[in-house]
This record gives sequence, structure tokens and C-alpha cells, in this order.
Amino acid sequence: MTLEQASAPASAAVKRRPRFTQHMNELSLFAAIVVLYAVFGTMAGGFLSFNNQINILRDAATIGIAAWAATLIIIAGEIDVSVGPMVAFISVALAYLLQWHVPTPLAFVLAIAIGAVLGSIAGVLRAYFDIPSFVATLGLWSALRGIALFVTDALPVSIGRNDMVDALDRSVAGVPPAAIIMLVLFVIFAFISRKTAFGRSIFAIGGNPHAAFLSGINVRRIRVAIFAIAGAMAAITGILLVSRLGSGNATAANGLEFDVIAAVVVGGTSLSGGRGSMLGTLLGVLVITLIGNGLVLLGINPFFQQVVRGVIIVAAVLANIQAIKRSRVA
Amino acid sequence: MSTAAATQGVSAGTIVASLQNCTKRYPGVLALDGASFQVAAGEVRALLGKNGAGKSTLIRMLTGAETPDTGEVEIDGRPLAHSGSVRAAEAYGRGVRVVYQELSLVPGMTLAENLFLGRWPTGAGVIKGRQMEAEAEAALKRLGLDLPANRLVAGLSPAERQLVEIARVLLGKPKLVILDEPTSSLAAAEAEKVIEAVARIAAEGIGVIYVSHRMNEIRRIARSATIMRDGRIIDTVDVAGADTREIVRLMLGAEADAATALTSRAREKVVLEVKDLSLPPKLSSVSFKLHEGEVLGIAGLLGTGRTELLQAIMGVRDFKAGTINVDGAPVRKPGYHAMMKRGFGYTPENRKDEGIVPLLGVDENALMTDFPAVSSGGILSSSKISAAARAVIERLHVKAARTDTPIGTLSGGNQQKVVIGRWVHAGSRVLLLDEPTRGVDVEAKAQIYAIIRDLAAEGRSIIFVSSEIEELPLVCDRVLVLRDGELQEEFTSPNIDQDAVMAACITSH
Repeated sequence: MTLEQASAPASAAVKRRPRFTQHMNELSLFAAIVVLYAVFGTMAGGFLSFNNQINILRDAATIGIAAWAATLIIIAGEIDVSVGPMVAFISVALAYLLQWHVPTPLAFVLAIAIGAVLGSIAGVLRAYFDIPSFVATLGLWSALRGIALFVTDALPVSIGRNDMVDALDRSVAGVPPAAIIMLVLFVIFAFISRKTAFGRSIFAIGGNPHAAFLSGINVRRIRVAIFAIAGAMAAITGILLVSRLGSGNATAANGLEFDVIAAVVVGGTSLSGGRGSMLGTLLGVLVITLIGNGLVLLGINPFFQQVVRGVIIVAAVLANIQAIKRSRVA
Repeated sequence: MSTAAATQGVSAGTIVASLQNCTKRYPGVLALDGASFQVAAGEVRALLGKNGAGKSTLIRMLTGAETPDTGEVEIDGRPLAHSGSVRAAEAYGRGVRVVYQELSLVPGMTLAENLFLGRWPTGAGVIKGRQMEAEAEAALKRLGLDLPANRLVAGLSPAERQLVEIARVLLGKPKLVILDEPTSSLAAAEAEKVIEAVARIAAEGIGVIYVSHRMNEIRRIARSATIMRDGRIIDTVDVAGADTREIVRLMLGAEADAATALTSRAREKVVLEVKDLSLPPKLSSVSFKLHEGEVLGIAGLLGTGRTELLQAIMGVRDFKAGTINVDGAPVRKPGYHAMMKRGFGYTPENRKDEGIVPLLGVDENALMTDFPAVSSGGILSSSKISAAARAVIERLHVKAARTDTPIGTLSGGNQQKVVIGRWVHAGSRVLLLDEPTRGVDVEAKAQIYAIIRDLAAEGRSIIFVSSEIEELPLVCDRVLVLRDGELQEEFTSPNIDQDAVMAACITSH
């Protein structure tokens, strides 16, 4: 009867420990980031320079914005592997919209809407036709990349001169807009996941979909919604990509989906659903980005970089799981 | 009846298994109290007793899963000598086999593969498919099941699956086969196949222990029935000579007679009326009325369709015919959300799989039926959440250190209180509770009864489904007995007599 003991007078001490345990995941990730900074800071020249820190933030945005939505999806017990092709497809679509002289703000809105609609296709297949989300998004993954390549012949689609798009890549007081958008979205997603019925319903569905349904949660609608949100976030990433490259590219964002999933998982979100946090994902995104950036600066052979990255990701998750286990026993 | 004749044709053979004066004590419980018992080859012995009477412990003695504190277990003429895990292997080696209620077949594999699961006949690592299928078909034929052995188990009916399960056990040439409620999940017509198979097994000279509560089945295949209560073997009766009331009296004992007087707050107003509801194969024609402020018990054996009935009312299961009226008006499309809006709430039988979200706190588990009530402007309010959660916790006497303690760490009874509490939070006026006291300790059970009475006193109407007969008089204003797809008998408090209810549940007609 540990519960009754817990409600006994010594409750102050008892209250503190679960709090600490809850944040064990975040603490160990924070430690990992400090270690990465120490290692790359001493070994890789220019790693600590202001310019490189800005680069890291910008790269983090590419993974991060998609990772916020992916966190919701994975907490709900689903998976989305279509991120990379979705970003590339939207970048191409946006480039064409701008070539056709669609007003830039409207083009942005349309791009995000297209992303949401494409995402919701996967959501509907999952929610109403019981197709596993891995398969539904794998279909999107292949089809979207294929359409983009087919239409553009794998060539960049130039957007010409566009002040508004360029502005998106111009730093404000040294900080790139992409990073600001990422952080603003982070706050919004963290809020949604903790403070809205929608967010809590996602946790309930991931933890036990039957119980969630029997409690009156609209499981299907929420499943569609999270995939639509993921599509919209991929679209925002696609818009930022266009602003950075000045063109739409069917070959861009290759393998981004794996960086996104890796960031979420490194961040401590459980692939079996029901457990996870936005803060964890933020730290996970930083870990993944730091590794990528640092390995480049170290001048390691690009092929071998992939090996190192793979090992570090698995090691990070392993260490994290061990740390959480140990803190539970203690 | 040919099957009965076949069984009776085998004269009492040698004793295949026996218990001599066995006692087994668990912390706080005397699970088996000086039990002596024996089964002969070729005999079908029925084993009767309510939940917790000691049937499972007796079975565990025979399988060697438990060692008695005192007394001896003999299988095939020799006592089991070892203890620990070796003991179970010893009993297995002497030919003791159990077929459990939960089926353990792999649906995506063939009949033959399932029969030999993990022990497939191989030559140089390759499975000998032909040989395996031929042997499997022969084994199935012994039970009267004429199916090609290359069929997938997924395509079989529940009764056929049960037979495959039995056939698997027969492959090892057993001496004693124990069947634990083999027909509990089957409709009457389907159960027939299993009953016939059991008679065939016995005719081959195998001893059979048949745990069941269905008297009509027992009368057909067993000559004698052993009745257990409170860990003791009360009597072994001649089935043909004993009437059902007599057997029930032995099962429940004398304590059953004290009737509890409840103050009924049931009013005239009918909140729910079910008319001629049919949901084959389980329910053929079910009709009843539920009044405002009433606690209506539904009794019936496992697998009689109680859960299906509740699910049909809630709109999570389609039914074939019949009408459901709420407040006198028919429900045309009883979708789950529509029923929730009408003020209905449902707690599932399987709390762990369908009731709780183990990782989330008590607060969210209790409040997820109505998040808007704890939000302001679409945003969840921490103060409202903790106030509402505390209200549920106090109201239902949930023992939890904090409102956000993960519900998975609570005891079964406290989890159940939260699951009921979520409908109190939602303001439901009709609660359908499916086995709310299953897997709950005695103290929490008493609390749940009190909670249910309180909720009814406030004017809520409650349907209380239970397989534990003894709790019905403690909670219900009225009890209906579900049997053979229909509601058969009605008992009204204070005349809810346990013996009579039990007899109505198990009786043959």
C-alpha cells in the first residue's frame, strides 16, 4: 500500500521525488547537450562562433517545426514517415504558385492548406479505413516525391525576385526568422499538448484508445486532425526552404522524416504512444542538429558521418532509457 | 441421448487422479481445506462452486502448479514427489492436461500448425507438412470435427476453436483432461459440439474434470458432480438424483438466507425501455424497463450476452431487431456519442483494456468525459481540474496520494471508482456498469455498493451487471436473470434470494 504511505505526513519529500523523476528525461538530455558542446567546442574550430550558432538554430528549425507535430502523432500511437517528400512537394507547389503570380501571402496560405489536406488524407485512411499510419504515410512519401520529381524533372523551380519570400530568410538582429517561427510554434504546441482538451485527448488516445473512445473522445476526428497539423507544419518547413534556396526543389529534404522521428524519440517520446513531451522533443531536436553540425565542422567523411550519427542516436536513447529506469528504482 | 449413453457405458475404471486430505493456505485465505477427491478413468466429473470456492486451487493441485501444505496428490497411482516447477512437469508427464478459458491459438496459422505449435514434426529442419496435416485431421476426427487441417484458425467458429484447443491437448495421450468452463463463450447450439467431444474423450477412457455452471450440460455428460465451497469439498452428488435447487443450496451454503432490506428510491418514471432486442447468436428477445432512481441487476452466467446487451444499448454494437426507448421516445440511431448526450454512461467489464489510460493521472482519467467543464475559453484550467478531480476523489472515496497520480499505480478497486467517477463528472443520469466489482478487494467492493446506492438515491438509474450472485441483494432493487438469450425471471428486493437467482442462472429448461 505505497499510496497510503505516500499520503502520510512525510508527503513533502514524497511530492518532490516524482517531479524529479518526471524530468529525468529532460535532465539527461540537457546533460547530453552540454557534453556535445564541450566535445565539439574543443575539437571543431569555429563551432562556438556566433555565425555557427545561428546556423545551428536555422538547421534546427528545419527539423523542429515538423518535429512538434510529429511528437503529437507519436504520442497518439501513430507514425508519419511522409515529412521529407511533403516538404519538397510543398516547396515545388509554392514555387509554381509564385510563378503564376498568385499574391505571396495567398500563396503561403494555399501552401499550408495543401499540406493540411494532404496530411489529412493519411489521417482519414488511418481513422476511417484502419490503414496503419505507417503504410498510409509511406504511400504519401512515395507519391509526393514522385509527383514533385515528375512535374519538375528534378530541376529547381525558380521563384524569381520576391521581396516577401526573401525577407523570410533575412535575420532580425542576427536571428533568422525560421528560428523565431520554430520557437513560437514550440510554445504553441507545448501549450496545446498540456493545456487543451485536444492535447490531453491525444495522450488519452495514445495511452488507451478504447478507454478514450468510451469516455466520449472523438478518436477519429482527433486522428485526422493530428495528421492535418503535421501536413501544415511540413508546409511551413517547405515555405522556409523556398525562402532559403530561392526555388522549389523536388529533391530537397531527403531523409528529413528520419531526423524528425529520431529527434522525437531521442526526446523521450515513447513510440508505443501515450507518453512524451514537447520540451523533450525540443532538446532532441538540438541533439540531432548539434551532431550534424559538429560532424561537418570536424571534417569527418560525409559517408562516415552517417555511421557516427546512427551510433550516437541509438546510444542517446539507450542512455536515456537507462537513466529513467535507474531514477525509478532509486 | 446417445452421448449420455456412451459415457454411462464406461464403468468406473481405475482412479487416474486423487487428492488426499489436501490443505493449502495463502496469506489470509484458506484456499483448500482438507480436500479429498478422486476421478476415475473414463469418468466425466463436474466441478461446481461459486467464485473463490477453491476450484482453481484444486485444479492447480492436480496440475502440480501448487504443492499442498499438507496432504498428498496422486496421479496415475503414484504421489507427486517433487515441488516447484519440476512438480508441474511431473504431473504433465503423467498425463494431466488443462484446457483453459482463454484460447491460445494463433489465428493466422493453419489448424495443423496450431495443433503442433512449437513441436512441428520436422526432417532436417523442414516441417513435414503432409504428415502433420494427416495426423492433425485424425486428431480432429476423434472429436467429431471434420475439417481440412490446412484451414486457417482465423476462419473457425468459437466452438471449433475450442475443439482445436482440446484436440491439441489430446495429442499427448493424456490420462486426465481438465476443462475450465469450455462452453462459457459459446451460444447454446455451438456448445453442443463441445459437449459431444467431451463425451467422446471420456469414452476413450480418459478421466475428465468439467468445470461449468450450466446444469443442462452437466446433466447430459456427467454422472456425478463435486460441489465446493470455502475451500472445502461439500459433497459429491449423483447428478441424475439431485435437483438444481439442492445443488445451489450446497454451493451457496446457509449464509445465503439473510436478505438485505434496501430503501428503494425507484420512481414511476421509466428512463429506459428495451423491447424485443435481438442480437444473434447471444440474445434472442430481451425486453425490460429501467426506472428513475432504480438499481437494476442483471444476473447470468459468463457468456450469456450481458456485455453485448449493454453495448447494444450504448450504440457500440449493432443489433438485429428491437427498439430502445429513452424517456419514452424511441432512439433511432443509438450512436455512442448520441447516448452520452442523452445522459448515459458505460463502464466496461475489462477495466485494464478499455477502462483506464494507465499513464495519465487520476484527474484526467476522471475528467476526460467532459473537458469543457474544466476549461475556460477552450483552455484547461488547472484550478478547475484539481477542484473537479478532488470532488470525484472525495465523492467516490478514491485512495490516491495526489490528483495527478497515474491511475495505473492504483489498486483495482480505486481504478474502478475513478472509472465510475468519470460519469459522475459528466453528469450522467443512467449508468450501465459491467461487472464493476471484478478484480476488486472486499473493502472496495463494499464501498462500490455504497456508492451505487448513493448515486441511485440522487435519482440516477443504474444497470448493474454481475456474475457474483451474492452481491446482487446488497445493491439491487430488482434483478433480472439472463439465460438462453432472454430475460427469464425477475426478483424484487427484499425478495432477491441468492439460491433462487443462482438456480435461475444455471437451470436447464
